Amino acid sequence: MLGRWVEKNLRWVFTLPAVLFILVMMAFPILYTARVSLTEWSMSAVTPPKFVGLANYAELFLRDPRFWLATWRTFYFTGLALLVETVLGVALALLLNRDFPGQNVVKTLFLLPMVATPVAIGMVWLLMFEPTIGFANYVLHLLHLPPQLWIASQTQALPSLVLVDVWQWTPMIALIVLAGLVSLPSDPFEAAAVDGANPLQILWHVTLPMIRPTVGVAVILRAIDALKTFDIIYSMTQGGPNYASETLNIYGYTLGFSYFQMGAASSLLMIFFAIVLGVVIFLNWARRGVIA
Amino acid sequence: MTRRQTKLILNVLFYVVLAVSLLIFIFPFLWMILASFKTQAQITAYPPQWVFQPTLRNYVEVFAGQQFVQFIWNSLVIAAGATFFGLVLGLPAAYSIARYKQSGLGMTILVARIVPGITFLIPWFILFTRVGIVDTLPALILTHMLVTMPFVVWVMIAFFEGIPAELVEAARVDGCTEQYAFLRVVLPISGPGIITSSILAFVFSWNNFMFSVILTGARTKTLPVAIFNFLSYSEINWGGLMAAAVIITLPILVIAMVTQKYIIRGLTAGAVKG
Amino acid sequence: MKRFQRTWALIMLVAILGSVALTGCGGTKEAPKGTSNSDKPYAGTTMRFLAANHPWTETLKTMIPDFEAKTGIKVQMESITENQLTQKLTVELTSGAGTVDVFMQRPLQEAKLFDKNGWYTDLTTYMNDAKKTPAEYGASDYFQGPMQTETVNGHLTGVPIVTEQEIVYYRKDLFQAANLKAPKTIADLEAAAKKLNNPDKGIYGIVMRGKGNPAVTQFSSFLYSEGGNFIENGKFVLDSPAATKAVTEYGNLLKNYGPPGVLNMEWPQAAAIFAQGKAAMWVDANSLYKNVTAPDKSTIGDKVGFAMFPAGDKGALPYSVTSWGLSIAKSSKNQDAAWEFLKWATSKEVTTKIQSTGVPSARTSVWESDEGKKAWPADWVSVALESGKVGSPADRPLVINVGKARDLVGNIITAAITGKDVVAAAKTNNDALNQLLTEEAK
Repeated sequence: MLGRWVEKNLRWVFTLPAVLFILVMMAFPILYTARVSLTEWSMSAVTPPKFVGLANYAELFLRDPRFWLATWRTFYFTGLALLVETVLGVALALLLNRDFPGQNVVKTLFLLPMVATPVAIGMVWLLMFEPTIGFANYVLHLLHLPPQLWIASQTQALPSLVLVDVWQWTPMIALIVLAGLVSLPSDPFEAAAVDGANPLQILWHVTLPMIRPTVGVAVILRAIDALKTFDIIYSMTQGGPNYASETLNIYGYTLGFSYFQMGAASSLLMIFFAIVLGVVIFLNWARRGVIA
Repeated sequence: MTRRQTKLILNVLFYVVLAVSLLIFIFPFLWMILASFKTQAQITAYPPQWVFQPTLRNYVEVFAGQQFVQFIWNSLVIAAGATFFGLVLGLPAAYSIARYKQSGLGMTILVARIVPGITFLIPWFILFTRVGIVDTLPALILTHMLVTMPFVVWVMIAFFEGIPAELVEAARVDGCTEQYAFLRVVLPISGPGIITSSILAFVFSWNNFMFSVILTGARTKTLPVAIFNFLSYSEINWGGLMAAAVIITLPILVIAMVTQKYIIRGLTAGAVKG
Repeated sequence: MKRFQRTWALIMLVAILGSVALTGCGGTKEAPKGTSNSDKPYAGTTMRFLAANHPWTETLKTMIPDFEAKTGIKVQMESITENQLTQKLTVELTSGAGTVDVFMQRPLQEAKLFDKNGWYTDLTTYMNDAKKTPAEYGASDYFQGPMQTETVNGHLTGVPIVTEQEIVYYRKDLFQAANLKAPKTIADLEAAAKKLNNPDKGIYGIVMRGKGNPAVTQFSSFLYSEGGNFIENGKFVLDSPAATKAVTEYGNLLKNYGPPGVLNMEWPQAAAIFAQGKAAMWVDANSLYKNVTAPDKSTIGDKVGFAMFPAGDKGALPYSVTSWGLSIAKSSKNQDAAWEFLKWATSKEVTTKIQSTGVPSARTSVWESDEGKKAWPADWVSVALESGKVGSPADRPLVINVGKARDLVGNIITAAITGKDVVAAAKTNNDALNQLLTEEAK
């Protein structure tokens, strides 16, 4: 009896626990932040928040160039990182898609960068990027290339951080795509071989299209995290030098926990949330459109 | 050039590219491990020192000076709990969303991943203090589930979408309910996907810093927060930091090594099936 | 469709009810009342102490069991890095839940804001109450300057526990080889940096913090010594000729004689460069000395000399500040027990013990004792005492939003280091700083 009822309402029984959990955990914080974003408040216990309506939003949009620059940097960082990570990730997955001695160990080792604690990784790269005594410039020195300033330079800071992000997360994309590659049915490949297609043609016309769904999932997941990248930027440059690596998330954190302008920080977080949501909706639509 | 020669060259090329890629990705860890056995003066030396007198001081400091065993335990319980419950809630949800195209609900779950983490800090602290569960493991498992579950759901939706409906129908024709088919047919063949999403979910929870810093206390401190113990106001203990970083990464590496075998086994079985 | 909408409404309702229910129920942890024992009036109370990772905390940790045995108060201590401490305190004190009793504070960075938010217990009443604070505690034993730092709007926000001044670390061996004496004026400093700057041999004349926000404090000594100031008569005066001279000097030193990459340098990187023997001088806080003298951290530890900050037009006026103080949270439910702990942690005995491990305190009597001087090389102590005599009690602008102010002042410093138009940068940022003051006054 119960079994029938469950089966009839499967689509609710299976999903409601998860959805309810999310809503309960998230509703209060989001409503709270939305409310604070309409006020001016330094978290004081003495001075109550002052209701200012949409003034915080107006301030950010109209009178704060730092906000727009942070938005630009967020997109630049995410776009560049995603592009490089996807290309390298797919390439890496294709490379690893075969049996070779020690493959278990090798594949596990590739997992390391994304497994490591971002804060610790930030510290290691911080030392490696140091222009005078760091390892990065030592490598350049060995390759007879001029030493760089890396994260100490206003122009190189953001790309250097992209480098660290690419190093850290390419394996994740590779892992997801590899799992997809391995699950592909062998028929289309056999058919293509019979038709006399060469490896490159097989890659372009058979493999890549078939793994598009998995690549799509990997890209969306990575996009969300890349937009919100915090740990490595925080531990390496804190948004500097001179705001050169300040993304929206870092700026939000600074406004809230460094300047104690909770109203402004909350409004920025709401805008940021809308931006990430928009990007996800767009990517999801693109993914579906591409499949159909 | 004979076919055999081409194949040989391609093989060699493969191994070279593989070796170089591997080196690039694991080099910072090699550096980290080396540094964990060095003194601070050796760590910041230039040109970098490859040959040096190793010291175990940093590791002694980590275990003797801090209660690292406690931190490891905390991180483990929280990550395992968050992953387990993430699966319990997430797998059925992902299946239903994939099968019945409930994109609205799917979006709702994904929204949890979209909200910037900072947004949660103060509201959650207020909430948890009222209920009296700050500095408890269950509270942290709950918050980390917000990290693990959406991830599990989204990765598994893609995998479940790839499972042919005929499989489920065949089971139902045999007389069992859909939920039974889910448990007995769908889940077993989704092994690779489940393991992949579990590993990643576990890792995200293990490395989570922001939530842990605010919501943990002395009893429930986790590893990423503990690593900061080596950053003091007027001193940075690079050696200790590196040793702690190695210790934090090691358990994950071991777990990944062990479960990786299952992934491979599941993957080859799937390939044979065709 | 309709059924779908109804289900959605149901979900939202449950979610909101759920979160409201969670907010509504449950109580805060009450501290158990102490057993009435006149010897240990607070016995059985649990007290939560949030501390920063600091040598002061390290030593105090070892002495806490004594305190617990003596008073019966249980101390629950947590120590984290300073930035995380501020973040955590912010969250906990905002919630007003009374989860924090005693905490370490950075008066220069936080006092004004925390005071405005009503987060401190005013310690004046405690200090002046003869019953709560016996005479032997020595409330008047403290240096004037540090106590001034701790007083905001007439409230005593905390008791100073750590002090520091800006000094010049220099390589005695390099100076001797070049026939140079420790710099007495800023002009000497420049000359020495120029003479010893030898990038081809891998040695730079000088290294200092070059990242905007952190550099502000080290720049302050230059500012004061050239006769400038952050704020005068309620307005920022960083565009004055004296200020411009000071920031140009700071920027030029790094631009001409500093290592590459200074723009991202906070003290750890600068210290590492000096400790690796790659710079002839390092100008920074004297509390950081261990990073360049300890044999396991530095290759030139035995060659380090300490000199007082050199003189500018107005003399040698480095900062001499309270870097850390101990405060009681206003929302704490154990005010008296907290004061007992604070009193003990800042007592003469405990302070002497901690100072003997190398943490500079703010108590005159401790500085005058042998025990209090033994942790440091003699020249370090004399420089500290000299600097303490003339030093300025603030190393940053004393506003409410110190973080933002430091970022703005940092912009001027960055302009100087990169060789951009300093006068223009000073004007722009000074205006922005005054804007900040106006907003704060509202």
